[in-house]
Amino acid sequence: MFKYVKHTNYPINIRKKDLRMAKYILTQFGGANGELAAAMRYFSQKFTMPDEKGKALLNDIATEELGHCEMIATMVHQLTKDASLKELEEAGLGSYYADHNKGIYPVDASGVPFTATYFAVTADPIADLMEDMAAEQKARAVYENLIDLAKDEDVLAPLLFLRQREVVHFNRFKELYEYYKKLGY
Amino acid sequence: MLFDDKDFNFDFSFFEIPGSDFNRVDNILAPKEGFLKGNLFRNEYVPYKKYTYLPIEPKSKREEKLCKIQELSFAINDLNLYLDLHPEDNEAYNLMKKYVYEMNRLMVEYDKMYGPLTLDEVEQSKYEWIDNPWPWDNEGGHMYV
Repeated sequence: MFKYVKHTNYPINIRKKDLRMAKYILTQFGGANGELAAAMRYFSQKFTMPDEKGKALLNDIATEELGHCEMIATMVHQLTKDASLKELEEAGLGSYYADHNKGIYPVDASGVPFTATYFAVTADPIADLMEDMAAEQKARAVYENLIDLAKDEDVLAPLLFLRQREVVHFNRFKELYEYYKKLGY
Repeated sequence: MLFDDKDFNFDFSFFEIPGSDFNRVDNILAPKEGFLKGNLFRNEYVPYKKYTYLPIEPKSKREEKLCKIQELSFAINDLNLYLDLHPEDNEAYNLMKKYVYEMNRLMVEYDKMYGPLTLDEVEQSKYEWIDNPWPWDNEGGHMYV
């Protein structure tokens, strides 16, 4: 089961609305390489990990990724909450407004909704972990694109934090992958 | 303003520094520095371009206390992922234990002063779980919750 803790993983306090960044950052919630895909990927793969290390690591990284979903959604909420309809339309968010108003819905930067086809579950620990390693690298690359696009320090700080978490998760998955290879999986 | 790595004074005041013959724990950063960087293990830090990390400046006692809890929660999480693959590493586990005790103590204190962060804390005389701010709110000058 899960227990909620009433704080974000890392503080988020974005004081200036920025619809351009909101539209881009939303991809790390609902996009192919985003946090929701990451959370669901590891959550779903954990059931067929072959030993205690694999079960624990996938369970615990999946849990952390759920917290990252909340961070990204919080950023988008704070970037958009004070925007007028005119500003939303000018930023290309008129069609988003039509379906979701200022609600937070998992779509990518082009507005394509989240789909479970963004991740795989094969029950083969080597195949699953190789996907997990690639997913962390792709998420890192997307965070770097977002950091290139960002100007406000209130936005940069949590993006830099989240990018570094991708680096750490990659290292853990790689370590487990190599351990399983040695065991002959 | 981005921090230079060298500018950082880390606070070991309430944590024991592990023995110098223990390379892996030596390699573990203090919770505050790890939290700002996004990794507790020193050698895993890979900054992007010219960016390092940004300082966090709490503006009230409440923010300061919550920030401390977030730092410990982060340190526990990163030790947790490491220990999943190295459950035999008792020094890392003892460090995690120390942080867990300290965080739990701070969370009870926080609940007494400002309300609960989890439903495990019931220090208030009435139900305050629903009270604003929720973590996605940043109105009313509450920066970290």
